[in-house]
Amino acid sequence: MIKKEYDAIVVGGGNNGLCLGAYLQRAGMEVAIFERRHEEGGCICTRETTAPGFMHNHAVCMEFMEWMPFYYDFGLEKLGARTIHPDAEFGIPFSDGSPPIILYNHASEENYERTHKSISVYSKKDADTWVELLRKVQAMEALLPQFFYNPPPMPTPDDPDPWQTLNRTLLDIVGLPHYLAQESGKDLVDYLFETPGFRTLLYKGLEDWGTPLELKGFGAFGVLSLTFGIPYSRIMIGGTHTLAHAMVMASVREGVEFHERGDVKKILVEKGKAVGVRLADGTEVRARKLVASNADLKQTLLGMVGEENLSPLWVERTKAFKCGRSCVLGSVHMALNEAPDYKSAKHDPDINKTFITVVGADTPEEMAEHCREAEAGKVPTIPVLFNSCLSVFDPTYAPPGKHALSAWIFFPKASDLSREEWREVKRTYNDRVIERFERWAPNMTRANVIADFFETPLDLQDDKGLPEGDFNLGGMYPDQMVHNRPFTEAALYRAEVEALYLCSSGQHPAGGASAAVGYNAYKIIAEDFDLSYKPWDTTGRGY
Amino acid sequence: MQKETYDAIVIGAGHNGMALSTYLGKSGWNVLVLERRLEEGGGLSTELYTEPGFLHNLHSNYHTFVGLCPVYDDLDLVRGPDGVAYAHPPVQMGSIFADGTALTIHTDMKKTHESMSRFSRKDADTFLRLYKEVKGFQDLMIRTLMYAPPIDVNDITKALSTWKVEDKTEFFRAKLRSMTINDFLNKHFENDKVKAMLAFHAAVCGYYTDVVGLAVSFPFMLGKIDNWKLCIGGSHRLAHALWRQMRRAGVTLLPASPVSEILLEDGRAAGVRLEDGTEFYADKLVASSVDLEQTFGEMLPAGAVPKETQEDVEGYKYQDGSLFTVHMALHNVPAYKAAAFDPDINQAWVLNIGYECLEDFNRDWASIRKEEVPEEPRLNVAINSMFDPTDAPEGKASGMIRVFAPYSVDGKGPGVWSSSFKDVYTQRCIDRLLECCDGFTKEDIWVARPYTPQDISEKLVNMVNGDWMVGRISESNLMLNRPSPALSQYRTPVKGLYLCGSTTHPHGFITFGPGYNALQAIADDFDLEKWWVEI
Repeated sequence: MIKKEYDAIVVGGGNNGLCLGAYLQRAGMEVAIFERRHEEGGCICTRETTAPGFMHNHAVCMEFMEWMPFYYDFGLEKLGARTIHPDAEFGIPFSDGSPPIILYNHASEENYERTHKSISVYSKKDADTWVELLRKVQAMEALLPQFFYNPPPMPTPDDPDPWQTLNRTLLDIVGLPHYLAQESGKDLVDYLFETPGFRTLLYKGLEDWGTPLELKGFGAFGVLSLTFGIPYSRIMIGGTHTLAHAMVMASVREGVEFHERGDVKKILVEKGKAVGVRLADGTEVRARKLVASNADLKQTLLGMVGEENLSPLWVERTKAFKCGRSCVLGSVHMALNEAPDYKSAKHDPDINKTFITVVGADTPEEMAEHCREAEAGKVPTIPVLFNSCLSVFDPTYAPPGKHALSAWIFFPKASDLSREEWREVKRTYNDRVIERFERWAPNMTRANVIADFFETPLDLQDDKGLPEGDFNLGGMYPDQMVHNRPFTEAALYRAEVEALYLCSSGQHPAGGASAAVGYNAYKIIAEDFDLSYKPWDTTGRGY
Repeated sequence: MQKETYDAIVIGAGHNGMALSTYLGKSGWNVLVLERRLEEGGGLSTELYTEPGFLHNLHSNYHTFVGLCPVYDDLDLVRGPDGVAYAHPPVQMGSIFADGTALTIHTDMKKTHESMSRFSRKDADTFLRLYKEVKGFQDLMIRTLMYAPPIDVNDITKALSTWKVEDKTEFFRAKLRSMTINDFLNKHFENDKVKAMLAFHAAVCGYYTDVVGLAVSFPFMLGKIDNWKLCIGGSHRLAHALWRQMRRAGVTLLPASPVSEILLEDGRAAGVRLEDGTEFYADKLVASSVDLEQTFGEMLPAGAVPKETQEDVEGYKYQDGSLFTVHMALHNVPAYKAAAFDPDINQAWVLNIGYECLEDFNRDWASIRKEEVPEEPRLNVAINSMFDPTDAPEGKASGMIRVFAPYSVDGKGPGVWSSSFKDVYTQRCIDRLLECCDGFTKEDIWVARPYTPQDISEKLVNMVNGDWMVGRISESNLMLNRPSPALSQYRTPVKGLYLCGSTTHPHGFITFGPGYNALQAIADDFDLEKWWVEI
């Protein structure tokens, strides 16, 4: 039963809403989370999409728990969020069967050697450069969580543009020239590496963080996307949704209440202050202290708060917040008799046991063209997959002896096609995927597919509420990063309306299911309400 | 590695496993629940099966024990902080007949009587007398016969005759034990359509109308013909509410953790090993809510139970048939031609389309037993979003068509259901629905996706042969005989190993009976203070 009043109301039970709710409750507030869907976790969603017993991760397939405060402060592992850290993290097989390139995790010196050996097949120079880069990044490992799990640095007279300062610092640490900060991620990869196949792999790695491959101004950030993303990612045992479950249970244990299908339509504003919410069925629930929204920026401010409660500046800036064209994906889900067996496996069988494989493009030109097509709003002629077959690592992903595959492809945004066109894509695109896949892995024939499903960006918009299907809830553009995310006035998680806080991925440091936005918003709220629970001061981790 | 020890370990996070764990947690025990699947709730499963925003209950849809089952109150599943809400459709059920007539069952029995009177005044009067008579002691009967470990049916019959119950009632007779539901209906009712409606009600509850002995249960079932409820936000919401109450009671649930072995120490169930090798230990007990074959055949080491138990397990029978369902995302709610006869039919929740007389049921049961898919599908239609708008996006509807169907088809096994046959049969079901619709056409059906008997078992391995009751509903498999006389009291020959799933009394369905009754046995064995409402 919904109470009439809570201390804090969180709109939306995605990873950031769950995180914020749990911390607030632990800090002594009475918290309720209202979730529009029937299930919490937002994009941390695993479903038996194709056939019973086959688990498919929708949207989020990899996790970075390395530093997540929520994970450690609330003991999520003991609540069922268990992980596998695969040795072979990221790799590319080739359609002509030439040796694959595989990047291993950073867990052991042996893995550095394996990575080096794999790249060396093509270029010792590239192998040296990559491993050196990784070691440098690992040496500054302590700085990474500081960047993610803190509110963004804001402009000061001494440092008018913290984003540029960050870029320069990053380049200094890894010993690269400052001018790269003004270049694109693609320029960075081309500057560092010569092997075409390796470039193909890294292009995909870059863009999968949501930063457009050829957009200038991301050369420095690209270092992070490549070296932070790849060696640290983990597989959630049983599906990424186990993490969402654990987050919910952690919140429940603290005392948070949950209301699914609690579709918040309005944030109630009185005298410039957020005082509660109104649900779709008309129910009004009051908030004694605050309302926080985990819904996207436009829905929150223009939809739930309403322009009448905002200044023209906030209305204008909210409307100007751009969708990320390179953060839009179509997803392929397949129930299989056999896991893909790549031609390239004859040189190195590890490619068949690699967490993420890039399949569908051999050359950097093909990959770049693929990205350009999607960004231009066209359904990609050639599908290039960011592919995971997790039943290879974890038998709970599929019935005995069978396999579950999920893969992601850069795709046009939801409004680029009509509903009818999307239906057609949904019906036919997997045929194109299979046709392409078979050239890389000859056993990936129609006969190998027990059942399949294609999820479009429109589906993600309809189901998860991602505007345009953008998984970052707002593009990763230089003018929407760090202290400019979503715009300077809103970057510190406080909305213009008093007692309203923003905690969606439209805030720093954006998406990725890291619960960072929720944690950072909590820090701000703890300051505003003088809350005494401050794990960043007491745990010794420093953030 | 440190040895992780709990007071109790429960295998399986279906509604029974979760309920038992929550009671034990609230009694102060440290409990661990291990679930094979990612989602908790077992049959309380709701998914966006067709399109984003359309909720579909893939297994349990009809909750008929709300208000009767003590677990809802004991565990605050409705009143709790994030408890569930139920819709109670005023027109509970209906039948659409080929001649354009329709019969409706209402929560308002006066209206039910009116509707039935249009077919037979005599039957309508009989129905009302039966309903009232049962209502008088329904609570008592349901609570003692369902929410208590089973007792000998002979004792019940003896009690009935000692207290001369037969003199006081029109409908209860010791000889119901040798009658089918068909027999009961033929004895008391005259109109085919009335009989078909009432038989349909029993069939949807999993009670085949031609099985000898089931006439005993039929009157009790009728007493709750007006208690069909729909869980708002999907049946899985109840699983959420349970899990949260379980967590609040301190219980830990680990999803995606299939148990491979029950560990024995000195012949006592002392813990479990997961498929990945992880071990957990239990000081007091291990309770299994999964099926007998998994518990005794796969998880226990060979020789752990006597030969007789092994025979009980091997001889355990499942239902003859299963269900084939078509889940639909709709642009509009169907309206029916029969509304010209009875406008209320457009408001009915649980609809019978196709069963016109008892013989129709007999024919379907016969086909199913021969592993034949009924040629002409007779439908159970439910458009849930009419009563729970959160089941579909604004202006749209979600619903399903269900058909009784065999698990294995034509002696070729369940694999036939994954062939193109399922699409052919889906179309046949839709065509049958459209035949009786008025203004609702195939254009109104946006997406239709089948969920087959094979899917049932593949999603929930517990439901062997697609049997969502997890064991045959027949006298030889109910009460003291479920799953066998030796195992009927929730205890097993292995010390410290209990059964708490739907293979035990009373049966599957969202009754919570097995979990609740296992609790009573455990409470007796471990001297637990019974803080819950005593039955």
